[in-house]
Amino acid sequence: MPQFSLYEEEFHPSPWQRTWAAFRSSHIAIVGLILLGFFVIFSLFAPVVSPYNPAEQNIDALLIAPSWESSGSITHLFGTDPLGRDVFSRIIYGCRTTLGSGFLMVVLAMLIGVSIGTFAGMLRGVRSSIVNHLLDALMAIPTLLIAIIIVAILGTGLVNSMWAITLALIPQFVHRTRTFVRAEMKKEYIMASKLDGANKWQLFVHSILPNMTEMLVVQGTVALSIAVIDVSALGFLNLGAQSPLAELGAILGDGLDVAYLAPWNVALPGIAIFLLVLSINIVGDGLRSALRKRVSH
Amino acid sequence: MPVKPLFYAAFTVVMVMLVAACSKQDEHAFYNSGLVYCSESNPVTFNPQLDTSSTTTDASSHQLYDRLLDFDPDSGRIIPSIASSWLVSDDGLTYTFQLRKDVEFHTTSYFTPSRNFNADDVIFSIDRWRLTSHPYHYVSGGRYPYFESLGLAQNIASVERVNGYRVEINLKRRDSSFLANLATDFSVMLSQEYGEALLQQGLPNRIDQYPIGTGPFKFENYRKDHYIRYQRHQTYWGEQDNAERLIYDITPKSSLRLAKLMTGECDATAFPAQTELEVIRSRDDLLLAEKPGLNVGFWAFNTQRPPFDNPDVRRALAAAIDKNTLLEAVYFDSATRAKTLLPAASWAFQNDADDTAYNPVLARKLLENAGVEPGFTMTIWAMPIERAYNPNAAKMAELIQRYLRDVGVIATIVSYDWATFRRHLQEGLHDSVLIGWSADNGDPDNFYRPLLSCGAIPSGTNRAMWCDNDYDELLDKALQTEDLEARRLIYQQVNRLLYERLPLVPIAHAYRYQAYRNELEGMTINPFGGVRFGGVGKSL
Amino acid sequence: MIQILSRYGVLFILTLLVLTAMSFSLVYLFPGDVLENLTGIVPQNEIQREALMRQFRLDQPYIVQFFYYLSSLLQGDWGYSLASGLPLREEIGIAMPATIELSAYAMLMALFVGIPLGYYAGLKSYSTTDHTINALSITTYSFPVFWLALILILFFSLHLDIAPLSGRISLLFDIKPVTGFVLIDIMLAEGIDHGLAYRDAISHLALPTVAIGAITTASMVRITRRSVIDVIHRPYIVAARSRGVSEWQIFFRHVLRNALLPILPLMAIQITTLITNAMIVETLFSWPGIGSWLIQAIYQRDFPALRVGMLAVSTLVITLTIMVDLFNRIIDPSREKYERATV
Repeated sequence: MPQFSLYEEEFHPSPWQRTWAAFRSSHIAIVGLILLGFFVIFSLFAPVVSPYNPAEQNIDALLIAPSWESSGSITHLFGTDPLGRDVFSRIIYGCRTTLGSGFLMVVLAMLIGVSIGTFAGMLRGVRSSIVNHLLDALMAIPTLLIAIIIVAILGTGLVNSMWAITLALIPQFVHRTRTFVRAEMKKEYIMASKLDGANKWQLFVHSILPNMTEMLVVQGTVALSIAVIDVSALGFLNLGAQSPLAELGAILGDGLDVAYLAPWNVALPGIAIFLLVLSINIVGDGLRSALRKRVSH
Repeated sequence: MPVKPLFYAAFTVVMVMLVAACSKQDEHAFYNSGLVYCSESNPVTFNPQLDTSSTTTDASSHQLYDRLLDFDPDSGRIIPSIASSWLVSDDGLTYTFQLRKDVEFHTTSYFTPSRNFNADDVIFSIDRWRLTSHPYHYVSGGRYPYFESLGLAQNIASVERVNGYRVEINLKRRDSSFLANLATDFSVMLSQEYGEALLQQGLPNRIDQYPIGTGPFKFENYRKDHYIRYQRHQTYWGEQDNAERLIYDITPKSSLRLAKLMTGECDATAFPAQTELEVIRSRDDLLLAEKPGLNVGFWAFNTQRPPFDNPDVRRALAAAIDKNTLLEAVYFDSATRAKTLLPAASWAFQNDADDTAYNPVLARKLLENAGVEPGFTMTIWAMPIERAYNPNAAKMAELIQRYLRDVGVIATIVSYDWATFRRHLQEGLHDSVLIGWSADNGDPDNFYRPLLSCGAIPSGTNRAMWCDNDYDELLDKALQTEDLEARRLIYQQVNRLLYERLPLVPIAHAYRYQAYRNELEGMTINPFGGVRFGGVGKSL
Repeated sequence: MIQILSRYGVLFILTLLVLTAMSFSLVYLFPGDVLENLTGIVPQNEIQREALMRQFRLDQPYIVQFFYYLSSLLQGDWGYSLASGLPLREEIGIAMPATIELSAYAMLMALFVGIPLGYYAGLKSYSTTDHTINALSITTYSFPVFWLALILILFFSLHLDIAPLSGRISLLFDIKPVTGFVLIDIMLAEGIDHGLAYRDAISHLALPTVAIGAITTASMVRITRRSVIDVIHRPYIVAARSRGVSEWQIFFRHVLRNALLPILPLMAIQITTLITNAMIVETLFSWPGIGSWLIQAIYQRDFPALRVGMLAVSTLVITLTIMVDLFNRIIDPSREKYERATV
């Protein structure tokens, strides 16, 4: 605190400030955050940052090697693909598609999941038992399977694969919310609100939700890393984003055809996905241990 | 102690490895006794009479069967096979074939032949596709696309047995390409005895799924999307020095085929992608065989759908694309630009034929005159598999998509798996399609008739669904003409006609490639049709 | 005990009913012909179509159709594949064990490598070793499985040429699928060199198992480590230590078991991830399992195959999940059902 305070010992940093302080103390977490920041900035400003249009084919520049190789040229930093498209621009746009769609899916899944979870958490008796059991069981169906079914019904495409992944992400939010709401409902401050005459909606908005945000943020990072991996896996399997749309997994899958001639078409998008997921996981991990530290102190 | 189970697991694995490490020599002998070929797709059937796709012929013609005649792979001349000699009458209508007597059929788990190959088998095999009254004609669909597209059945008056080993075929009209047709991959010899036996069991369908032939390999089993197993035919009539076992490892992705070739999981592979040729050439353990191919890759319009029934629209679309770019980007210069349907390897090739040129301004103008507004949408169907004539149809479609956008046409790319793709094409659901044709001999009729004649629409090789009487008449006239020079002139007229009406845009004639490991012996590339593994083995 | 069993039994049957209903509804949801989606038989003419419609009760209300569907599933009549024309039960009977086999080895790898490493890291928590293990596990955990598999192929198959990259065994060995598990089938096969075949099969197994197993191992390490750290800070451990109980005794009598308990329910979640990864990796290694089978089916729009394949895979996953849950509940009844350890 820069300004002078007479009652210094009275200062209580807010929970978020304390979490941030704990987070900041881990160097790895900070590196992860910076890396993730890069990805976010590149995704947001893709049209400004990327040197070429990602779909622009250039017949005179097929399969140019990346700039660090002797046969490469600085005009194409990461080289070009077999249609003469700039790999660097494609990867930037790919991050935009992959990360952007991942983020959208997580937000959507969170909204739906929290609603259902709260509902399930407040239910009692047989109904709750049935709902919970079924949810538990359905949670076990692999994303890939849901995606295959949705693709079979609606056809391939990024949006269809996003529905599938969103569906698969919902249960974990339901699960966490339900557990959390159940635990909270037993606490005394809820009882106090109840005695004040708060109805269920007021209980949720004013008492439970504020306490839940941290859990949701942590769960969100977990979901985001899963979403990114899943959307790129579906793109890779040719069930998600279709060429010429730039999506990291689809770029990698297309690159396989020229894997021997132009290995960078496989290596670079792979590294991009890996670093993206790694940075998300590191930030998520850092956040979690920061929260844990705060709670345990 | 948590380390213990780990230790035990490792110990067990090591022990298994040690016990398994039998003598190197046995191992070597075992792995050399079989040949693995990485093929690109599933055969539709094991009878090449029923299907013209090269996947089917690769998996059946030269492995399981023999033909009466063969092409010499080097000179392209017709040579004897299980017909040891033949005679043609002076009027060119009667062909007499003398058959070999020592040709045995396969003995397998599902059939034991009691006799050798003879005249009855020839009659059975030809009558199956020729006569609708034949008990096997309608088995497995009743379509014989190759023969139908050439109208061969209508031209044969009779197939007669002179004696057990002599057959006479009478034609109605002269056909200068008749012998060549008998030597193609599709004119295989089936077993009449096997056919009878299956009829008695009431299982005639099995004849094309559990094939019996006279070829150097016999069928063992097949699992779709996985493998086809063959065994050596121990009593093959011809020279034989081939492997004990032949396995087709069905691997649709060309990059994976190359990978398997590198690791030695495959000994030879089909259709290496053009992009991979450099990699193969640069490796000492791999060999690449190359020959100019008898094929053509093209972009066909569905001429039965408006506005593609208008030749001006077709010409406009042809002028909108730059063929040279397609050649460079898709074939990586391993193909020559196609002006007509015929490649340079054919004797009737016309060097000075007219060709469409890249001219987007003209294209736009033609489209406007034909009443096609900017923003018009159409589909381009891109073949899902690689073929020599089009190694990457999807990529070509993307390039064409971009060219069409420049002239205000919005193209969407459509693709299905190969079987569905061909079924929908046959139903005529496409606006335009990127596909091609590999011929089996250099005879021009082998290109023009199956690809664009009226008779080829129901048989499913005329992808433009184009039917033009002038064209068919010219083709018939050419077949009646024995004089090569006169025939050549007729085909030049045909080229002119096609240039004017343009039911399809010829794009490229690709070279044919085959990649294999250098321990394979006896491997040659067959420019006329499918691969052959008779006489191929591994050096020890 | 009996109450728990019956409760789980009811739950299991109920879930399967819901799944079957979902798979039945796919018949109507999929594009294409309802009759073909349901049976996989393409009728040759109208008369045959009529007969088939009657046979499969398609002319009756949905509920009748559903029960007929259910009964034919139970009788083993799962319909035919549109692409190959073979009975689906036979095809799944070959593909499913291949996936189970691969997943089982990967799971074993995760258990035998992941849990000990996790214990070690947890006991030495916040030391350099712990940080190294933790960093390694988070790195491995972040690999997209398909890329990891590609790297393994590139390095071990193409560069070093020490492991093959496709299939379960060299095709030169003609092994009939009796059980579907290749290591057992080799034992049952006749006329082959068993030693050679085993060596071949194990070299084929190595890369895909590692590719799938690595990611599950990484999660296992993280889960175990967290659980161990939670346990060693519990008051009863502190109490034991203050009573002078040796570190080994503390580990064996308290930490080992108590840290293991919260891991079990998390294994249920791992099963889903594991099978998803197995399905993706199968396509890269041409492993003839249910994953590559389903993906082939979607490329070919083989709707009957997708319908039954979906039912088969989800039944497998849910059976495993419920079994782990049940097991967990039986060995630790005090635990509240919804309480699960945190990663």
